[in-house]
Amino acid sequence: MKRSGFTMAFLMIVCVFLTVNAEAEEFEFPEIHGFLEEAFAPGFGSDDVKHRQYNMAEARLQLRADYYFSGDNILAEWQTAIESKCDFVLDFYYGGKVLTDLRELNAVFTPLDIVDIRAGRQVLTWGTGDYLFLNDLFPKDYVSFFIGRDDEYLKKPNDALRIMVYPEWFNIDFAFIPFFEPNDVPTGDRVSFFDSFEGGIAGRSSELHVVEPSETPKNFVYAARAYKNIKSYEWALYYYRGFDPSPSSYKNEAGHQIYHQRLDAYGGSLRGPVMGGIGSAEVSYYYSPEDPDGDIRTIQNSMMKYLLGYEKDLGNDLRVGFQYYLEQTLDYGEYRKALLPMDYRWDEFRHVVTSRITKFFANQTVKATVFAFFSPSDMDAYIRPSLSWDATDSWNLTVGANLPFGRDSWTEFGSVRKNKNVYARLRYSF
Amino acid sequence: MRKITAITITLALFVSGAAYALTADEIVRKASAASYYQGKDGRADVNMVITDSLGRTRERYMTILRYDHEDNGPQRFYVYFHRPSDVEGMSYLVWKKPGEDDDRWLYLPALDLVRRVAASDKRSSFVGSHFAYEEISGRGPEEDTHELEGEEDGKYKIRSTPREPGEVEFSYFVTWVNKDNFVPVRAELYDKRGKLYKTIEALEIKDIEGYPTVVKMKASDLNTGGNTVSEFSDIDYDIGLEEDIFTERYLRRPPRRYIR
Repeated sequence: MKRSGFTMAFLMIVCVFLTVNAEAEEFEFPEIHGFLEEAFAPGFGSDDVKHRQYNMAEARLQLRADYYFSGDNILAEWQTAIESKCDFVLDFYYGGKVLTDLRELNAVFTPLDIVDIRAGRQVLTWGTGDYLFLNDLFPKDYVSFFIGRDDEYLKKPNDALRIMVYPEWFNIDFAFIPFFEPNDVPTGDRVSFFDSFEGGIAGRSSELHVVEPSETPKNFVYAARAYKNIKSYEWALYYYRGFDPSPSSYKNEAGHQIYHQRLDAYGGSLRGPVMGGIGSAEVSYYYSPEDPDGDIRTIQNSMMKYLLGYEKDLGNDLRVGFQYYLEQTLDYGEYRKALLPMDYRWDEFRHVVTSRITKFFANQTVKATVFAFFSPSDMDAYIRPSLSWDATDSWNLTVGANLPFGRDSWTEFGSVRKNKNVYARLRYSF
Repeated sequence: MRKITAITITLALFVSGAAYALTADEIVRKASAASYYQGKDGRADVNMVITDSLGRTRERYMTILRYDHEDNGPQRFYVYFHRPSDVEGMSYLVWKKPGEDDDRWLYLPALDLVRRVAASDKRSSFVGSHFAYEEISGRGPEEDTHELEGEEDGKYKIRSTPREPGEVEFSYFVTWVNKDNFVPVRAELYDKRGKLYKTIEALEIKDIEGYPTVVKMKASDLNTGGNTVSEFSDIDYDIGLEEDIFTERYLRRPPRRYIR
């Protein structure tokens, strides 16, 4: 079944659900909420993206509606709800093109006391990181992140079946994703990036081509989490079977083709109170089934990823947080031996530290945040200051900046260093 | 004459003996139980109107569910935000543990994110209102030393001084507690220089299912002139909430039958 077929089937199921319920006497039209937002982000880049002067200029309408089944039928008995959220974007970056972004359309129900099921388009998140994701391999939109959209847009939705089981001993969360959904990463059109074929930072000149996994049952994605609270501490184990959400291996070098190699991940995390704040630790083992010995130079090796985090409320509406992240490429010796003389060589270890400082002013109507990434091993950094003002319950103005820096053009933040911008978003919520 | 005086003195001693039979600590514990522990569990819709010094208002509308383990003991709270629109659908979970930091979680539906919230500062503002967190969920009686200063109009007047002055912005506060039902009806908070800077008043008290309940209260910031009025409606006690509603499961899937 192709993706469009899957979506159609789901919409039909929703229609059947609604028809069943329309016969119930108390049909209640759902309330509609959402917002209207104008966003503009002048950039000070110097590369050949589509527009050098700005990298975001758009008007966005978001509509949300939830419907709850009632009456005397099985759907009401299962406390079934349909949750929907859709964005309509007038994107001036692409000459005023209108884009529809269906962010949520799912049915959630409780067929058994200890089971919740959510089927359809939904956002999935787990793990303990703040802007750093180890076991959360669900799709992200890093283009939105770099140009200054709201944090909501960092997470991309999946078409998924999520089964949540809550027996006494611990909780299980299982997600079945029939069609792998990749991250949105810079491709040179709006955000420039490092293109190894060009040997440097590329914009529209890049001829890089990303090959996505074919839509067949053997490419189904599965993710699972088992978790439990013991006193104040949250323990979790994670599993993922799918593909690397960011394309990080080469398919065909002559054709400038990169692709999402197969990836299995096994991890765990712990979070709880530490010295008056919240401490967390997370670890993940990324197994690369297409390059199990690490000796294929075009395919990403297996990796270990570690994260430590700490957040504390210092009073007076001031909160600070720190993270330390370590990434280790496994079988590094094999990888080095396999490299050809002209290949870029990645380091075995990558260290990243982050800090977040949040301060509220004026009865929490003004929020100032600075988030900073710094990698001492890559010598790159990314600073994200923002200031958000709730002028009224409906009007919000947010201004901020995206400031990536880097010594080299091939590191994570160095590769996007030409995309520095400032942004302003004016939003009316209803 | 001497006899009458003796009787008067005896009577006075007797009366004051009865009135002061309760120690300040006992009154504060009873007041805490009467304010924050009615029934085994409860629900209420809360509408907060926050007015700033320039008279501009903001509103917060939420449902609060509560589950008690024992009076003046551990409690769980579940808060679901209905309005304003930008926080609609967010839910908030608190496991209150007297004598320790609370465990708190905030769920952001747009990101499907369950965030653990550091909870060491109980004096920070609750959702931008003039109420501090612990003025909503209750300040533990053991966190202050209490002194009965006397009685006024059928109310006990109690002065409370923090055991850990470094953790709070006040130097002491004075509470007036109804003698008949132990409902605190007014609190005055004094800053480190001894100046009155904040008041909390019960504006309306109703009997709900046998529990005297404050259904309207106001916090005023005397330094800035701002205030917040909270009105409670659809209050219900002993509704048989299950303890497991106060877990991550229900942050992701709000229990509609209790919050609508």
